[in-house]
Amino acid sequence: MTPPPQSAFTEYESPSRRTLLRGFALGGAGLALGPLTACAGPTGAPGPGTLTLGLNRSLVSLDNKLNQFDAAITVQRAVRQALTRIGPRMKVQRVLADRFEMTEPTAWTVRLREGVHYSDGSPVTVEDVATALRMYAKVNGSFILGLFPELPTVEPTGERTFRLRTERPVPVLDRLMANIHITPAAANRPEELQSGVGSGPYRVVKANSGAGEYTLARNTRYWGPRPHVDTVRVRFVPEEASRVIALRSGELDVVDTLTPDSAEQLTGLPGVTVQETSGVRICQLFFNFRKPEGHPLADPRVRRALTYAIDGDSLIRDVLTDSADQAEGVVPLALEGAVRTGSYTYDPAKAKSLLKSLGADDLRIKIIWESGEFAADSSVMEAVVDMFQDIGVRARLQQFQPGGDILKWRQGRGGDWDVIGNGFPGTTGQALTSLQGMYGGTAAKERTRDTYMGYVIPRIERQLSDAATEVDATERNKKLAAVQHAIWDTWPSLWAFAPKTLLAHRDRVHDLGLLTLGSYDLSPVRLEG
Amino acid sequence: MSGTTVLATEGTERPSQVTARDLARATATRTRRSAHVKLWAGAVCTALVVVPVALANLLPLPGANAQDLSRRRLPPLSEGHLLGTDQLGRDLLSRILHGGQVSLSVGVLAVLVSGLIGIAAGAAAGFFGGWIDAVVSRFLEAQLALPLLMMLLLVVALFGPSVTVITCVIAVAQWPEVARLTRSLVLVEREKPYVAAARVLGLRAWQVLLRHVIPNVVRPASLVVLLLLAQAVLLESALSFLGAGPQRPFATWGRIISDGQAYITTSWWLVTLPGLVIALLVVGVNLLGDGLRDRTRRRKGAGA
Repeated sequence: MTPPPQSAFTEYESPSRRTLLRGFALGGAGLALGPLTACAGPTGAPGPGTLTLGLNRSLVSLDNKLNQFDAAITVQRAVRQALTRIGPRMKVQRVLADRFEMTEPTAWTVRLREGVHYSDGSPVTVEDVATALRMYAKVNGSFILGLFPELPTVEPTGERTFRLRTERPVPVLDRLMANIHITPAAANRPEELQSGVGSGPYRVVKANSGAGEYTLARNTRYWGPRPHVDTVRVRFVPEEASRVIALRSGELDVVDTLTPDSAEQLTGLPGVTVQETSGVRICQLFFNFRKPEGHPLADPRVRRALTYAIDGDSLIRDVLTDSADQAEGVVPLALEGAVRTGSYTYDPAKAKSLLKSLGADDLRIKIIWESGEFAADSSVMEAVVDMFQDIGVRARLQQFQPGGDILKWRQGRGGDWDVIGNGFPGTTGQALTSLQGMYGGTAAKERTRDTYMGYVIPRIERQLSDAATEVDATERNKKLAAVQHAIWDTWPSLWAFAPKTLLAHRDRVHDLGLLTLGSYDLSPVRLEG
Repeated sequence: MSGTTVLATEGTERPSQVTARDLARATATRTRRSAHVKLWAGAVCTALVVVPVALANLLPLPGANAQDLSRRRLPPLSEGHLLGTDQLGRDLLSRILHGGQVSLSVGVLAVLVSGLIGIAAGAAAGFFGGWIDAVVSRFLEAQLALPLLMMLLLVVALFGPSVTVITCVIAVAQWPEVARLTRSLVLVEREKPYVAAARVLGLRAWQVLLRHVIPNVVRPASLVVLLLLAQAVLLESALSFLGAGPQRPFATWGRIISDGQAYITTSWWLVTLPGLVIALLVVGVNLLGDGLRDRTRRRKGAGA
């Protein structure tokens, strides 16, 4: 039998199994990839009445006993309030109190505002204030405690009135009390509260402290003006690039503590506004003051010699892209009462020769810090390691992830270190409180590890204490200036800078007034569209 | 006889419906050709990455950690910087190559250790059976049931992120793959007559296993180990990306990408180029492993 011609054979050939499989594969791929086209547009955009904030640090609690940074203040104070707050132009504003006056050098008379109550309708009482102060006093490792030269006691004088009594005068007590959140006495504990009600314009409806995510709803029983936004969602987005992309796509409405590079990317984009304010936070590469006698770093001359290794101008210009000012004092100059005490000079040859003359030319330095402590933190640290290398100092880095045990290390309980990258907020707008918080350490505080990196110099503490109790403002400023010079001469920081606060928001967000403190009040914020 | 091919075999002509085109399209031919292509493509891709990484210290490149803050984020093909510079003015090519040394060393060491553990445990389980098999099998099933990356992050968080810890962690994480394959190969081998013959000759069980069985399974098992190399490099990069890699300023591929993502819209090369290098290596190693496996199978088939 003669086989049929090939051409005739192929003409009637049915599709082969392979052809069918290819067809199915193409069809399947088309079906699978089709929905991906939906990814081209913005996704997960918040609803018209929902404001979504993207935080770069995890907000582990809406209580501030251990946890307070710029964006945290914004959210925490939307739920819990204090007697006072630091408002625009660093002025003290009364919140839960409508009277807060120094009536004696050691006593302030306070009256709670009439009708102030929590979101469950229960009134804010004098007992709540007294309990709050007791709880802050008991919590271990709180930096807020360090801001107070002494915690006042509450003397009730009426249903809504009381006296805040201190042993020595505390002329800035009204500013300090802006940090004490008032919670119902029965629910307050000497720890960061994970639940409970507050008197603020918003109440918590959903909280996942592990993931740092919260949903706040308008407090319908709020005693003050009604907030404009129905719901506020708080999200923890640690990756800077993700926050920028989420803001651009409309998934987030506000992102704060931006790095200069991100701000550069967002500036000029349609639909996005970038706000900037000069900072009251000081970021330092702070020396460990728990070094034993005889250790090179216990010698201020060695600490000073090391500062010559740091090219601060270059770090500010190239790494921080001019979004920060190099420190010229021990606290940011934007704070009231801060003075210029000196400046960091870059002179690696001098650093080398000084170290050699001090017998500390084979130093090894361990630098620790937590990711996100300040903008471009990793780049700053890596640059510092390179600068140390130029003067023959071997430096190594240990980076802690957010939620890690940096607190333990900071207290000297986790391990040994030499320099820590740390930021200290100026929560009251006063240089005095920042100075107290950082340099007012005493031996008693050090026993509970409540000093700032072990900085205990009795002479400085006495000078600070003297300035803190001075009632006359002019004399106080004079004493403060003197103590700042004295602190500078102890060379506490390898290098320091005051970063500007950079925040970006979508244009549908209105009336967002970024304060010098780096936070903002959520209640006047409006949404459009 | 139009349309019919005449095939000449040993001087005789035989009509056949199978054309040369059919032969070229046959599955066996395609498999052989694809194995060949895979082998070469894999070898080229792998060599493109591995050779420069191995020679990084000999190449005339700036130091991986040498910074020049005035020359930050220069684009590729800038003067003196073939792949540009990063956010601290460090040469990106140098960082990629030196980072590759860390990533590849971790990967190679990890797969060697996991290969040794996997072959030993799998061979023992397959050959001896009984309670050894039960213990090894349950253990590897338990480990396979755990989410790998979570487990790695947990261990790194507990013991601290150092090259040694990360290598050990990845090695321990990958042994089940090798153990499972080795066990199944040994199960087949132990029933073969040469094993019975060895026993009859009076060799002890472990001697039979070590001298006769393992040499017969080590080749296919080592191919899986090669495939695991790509996975190990990816895991190391993932850990570094998530911040659980070796401490700074060690350059690793994952960290270069992680640091660069903040600049993705303004300096694309910081993320794209190291990403491409990882992709090239992973694809290369996978193709190489695939090609070698196909070739081994074919030879085995031909031998049978």
